[in-house]
Amino acid sequence: METFAYPQFPSDVSSVHIGLFKNVTNAAQLKQRLISAATMPGPEGEQERAAVNFAFIDARLICSLVHLQTAIYQAILAHAQGALRTRTVHSEVLWALSPSTNITDAIRRYGVSDTTESLILVRIGAQGGTSVETQMASIVKGDLSSLESLPDIADWTLIRKYHKITAPDSKKSVTDADLEKSRALVVSLVAAKGVLS
Amino acid sequence: MPGKIRKRSPLKLPDKPYIALGLEGSANKLGAGVIKHAPNGSTTVLSNVRHTYITPPGEGFLPRDTAQHHRQWAMSVIKDAIEKAGISMHDIDCICYTKGPGMGAPLTSVALVARTLSLLYNKPLVGVNHCVGHIEMGRQITGAQNPVVLYVSGGNTQVIAYSQQCYRIFGETLDIAVGNCLDRFARVINLPNDPSPGYNIEQEAKKGTRLLPLPYTTKGMDVSLSGILTSTEAYTMDKRFRSDGRADDGDKDIITPQDLCFSLQETVFAMLVEITERAMAHIGSKEVLIVGGVGCNERLQEMMGVMAQERGGQVFATDERFCIDNGIMIAQAGLLSYRMGFQTPITKSTCTQRQVFRTDQVHVAWRA
Amino acid sequence: MQTSSSSTQLLLASSTLISQGAEAASPLRISKVFKARLHPASRNDAKNSPDEFVLLKYRFNKQYRHPTLDGTLTKARVTGEARAIVKCQRAGVNVPSVRMVDASEGVLGLHWIDGKSVRFLLGGGAEGEEEVDESTVEDVVDEEEEEDLLAGYDISKGTIYTRLVGRDASDEAVEEIMQKIGTEIAKMHRADVIHGDLTTSNMMLYHPRSGRTDLVLIDFGLAYTSTLVEDKAVDLYVLERAFSSTHPASEDLVTLVLKAYEKTMGKEWKSISRRLDDVRLRGRKRSMVG
Repeated sequence: METFAYPQFPSDVSSVHIGLFKNVTNAAQLKQRLISAATMPGPEGEQERAAVNFAFIDARLICSLVHLQTAIYQAILAHAQGALRTRTVHSEVLWALSPSTNITDAIRRYGVSDTTESLILVRIGAQGGTSVETQMASIVKGDLSSLESLPDIADWTLIRKYHKITAPDSKKSVTDADLEKSRALVVSLVAAKGVLS
Repeated sequence: MPGKIRKRSPLKLPDKPYIALGLEGSANKLGAGVIKHAPNGSTTVLSNVRHTYITPPGEGFLPRDTAQHHRQWAMSVIKDAIEKAGISMHDIDCICYTKGPGMGAPLTSVALVARTLSLLYNKPLVGVNHCVGHIEMGRQITGAQNPVVLYVSGGNTQVIAYSQQCYRIFGETLDIAVGNCLDRFARVINLPNDPSPGYNIEQEAKKGTRLLPLPYTTKGMDVSLSGILTSTEAYTMDKRFRSDGRADDGDKDIITPQDLCFSLQETVFAMLVEITERAMAHIGSKEVLIVGGVGCNERLQEMMGVMAQERGGQVFATDERFCIDNGIMIAQAGLLSYRMGFQTPITKSTCTQRQVFRTDQVHVAWRA
Repeated sequence: MQTSSSSTQLLLASSTLISQGAEAASPLRISKVFKARLHPASRNDAKNSPDEFVLLKYRFNKQYRHPTLDGTLTKARVTGEARAIVKCQRAGVNVPSVRMVDASEGVLGLHWIDGKSVRFLLGGGAEGEEEVDESTVEDVVDEEEEEDLLAGYDISKGTIYTRLVGRDASDEAVEEIMQKIGTEIAKMHRADVIHGDLTTSNMMLYHPRSGRTDLVLIDFGLAYTSTLVEDKAVDLYVLERAFSSTHPASEDLVTLVLKAYEKTMGKEWKSISRRLDDVRLRGRKRSMVG
């Protein structure tokens, strides 16, 4: 897990923890847990919601760390300006990642699904959360990995489809330059989402 | 770090007092002025006389009628200028006239007067570019050293900066001139042409309160103004428009002619200030000089002043005596080039109506 | 959230203001430009990759403008610039990617392009040399530095200094830059994006990680979308004027740019070329009355 500090944001959202899990085996169960936590009543519900208080992101759709960070940044910015389009800053990250303005769409596509094998957990909160990593590990069954492997997990067929990026000529092999350009475009699309359309 | 190297001006101090008569008539103003350059380097305006051809509200000035006006008034205006200067025609060193650009017929009628005087009194002629006249007069009056010049009048909208003996045009209108835009709108809402449509727009704008959305069309350092005129005109067809400016039955959602004048000025001037600022940033100048008839507008001067202040510089502007077309500016620019040895032989003392004679085609011999 | 202590304002306060110089992707125009790190290095990873830098373009309030107009304009320009960049990027034009947008504060964060402007590489700069003040000597460099202007840009080898100073359009290096300019502009126009401020300061030569050399178009502050031949022609006219005002005697350079433009533009070129002739003429005749 890695932690990033954004001192310019209000203290309750100035710290970002990102954990990447590979070989996740409990995705379906995790998804169910999220759904039930949302409606669970009483103090038990509070506790459960706190336990799963993360943004859960399908890592196949993230092409670089900068891509993810861009979405996180725009989400925190919206939060700081009182301009969230979704209920929480965590769901806002999913919204920012998705090309669609529909939040249900965003969660369905970018969130955890029954078959997710590589999963990213993001916690946006106050500084000094040393227990965050433990908390992540306690709910996800998988191997905590380095964020540097994000580009290798990326599923470009899916990313191109969602962002409507024309695939490079199938006859030619995809060059590094092509990939670099596609990554840059995806980052732009996420950063500018609020002002596109 | 490369230091500032100030080149010495090629213009030497005059060996004797020089006096020039300037004649201007490129549009609806007929002007005659007498200027004196003394051996100590000082410049004195001896006289500056002007007569304006004013048309009824809703009408513009046509070339033929304007030329007739100039012919009719030429003798008395020039006589007046000479008398006020306290000199006689024989004291003059050269006769300067507007060579262009401007309206053809008025230009030629004034040039004819200049030629006649030249032959009568055996005085050399100096043809002057109208825009350069504005710039030189502005520099003389305000003392601005190397300003970015915004030249705004009925026929011209240009952002100019000096470089290598030439006044380079950095930005300009891609269609109509700002003065033309304002004058035409004044006609639409039937404002009088006396003293000038632009002045009356300015007064109306002071009473406007509502800023209506208009296109804001800057293209690089250029502007386009015809679309804004069309859009402003379109508001007069809007069902919220009240030509008398009064709200009947307490309806608050109305558009008055004053609001339109206000919106037009705010939008157009913001664009002009913006392109001027771009030019200043581009060449690194902190001074700005506004010349031309629209330059009298106090709101424009105010906005330009705020901009210049934000950049740590200042704005220079002149009042209506020198902003609006006049003879003295022609005398000033003409005398500068005369002192550099330039004359216009009578056989070449033509006029050019079109922009074949652009600001940037004049060889500014008198500057370093 | 327009207070001076807003998050974006705090970010600006912690960034480096880029006044001028070839390193500034955009010379100080009428916005302020900052160099910043948008995402700080994480605790377990202190690497300093240059890719992490962003350029923050801050359109501060213009006091001279009516506040309503200023607010609308600022928001519209940030939005417009971001949209134009994305549109170009989709069309394969080399542009810096968008990294952050805060339209209400007038801030746009862009990928930091670590390159040199074409204006700088062509030795254009010092305008009205004797009267400029020191803050504008952006593009003036020492001769030794000039020696290597293109050295990092495997475009050409050899005596680049003499070639560039002579600005000989027959030279390979210069020719290749001009071709790249024409190609990128054509790609942009094919996507119906009009740049609105095509100057040699708004083009940068840059090589990204993969080692090739790209010509990147920057500063889409005045860009807009249009399918009109007129707008494309005016865009080219602005470019011609920019060349002639910053690089005297550069007609042959412009010819090279237009040749490459024509090649990429295909059959649309004919009508644009015809209109460009019109615009040139009209520009000369435009005003009539003094």
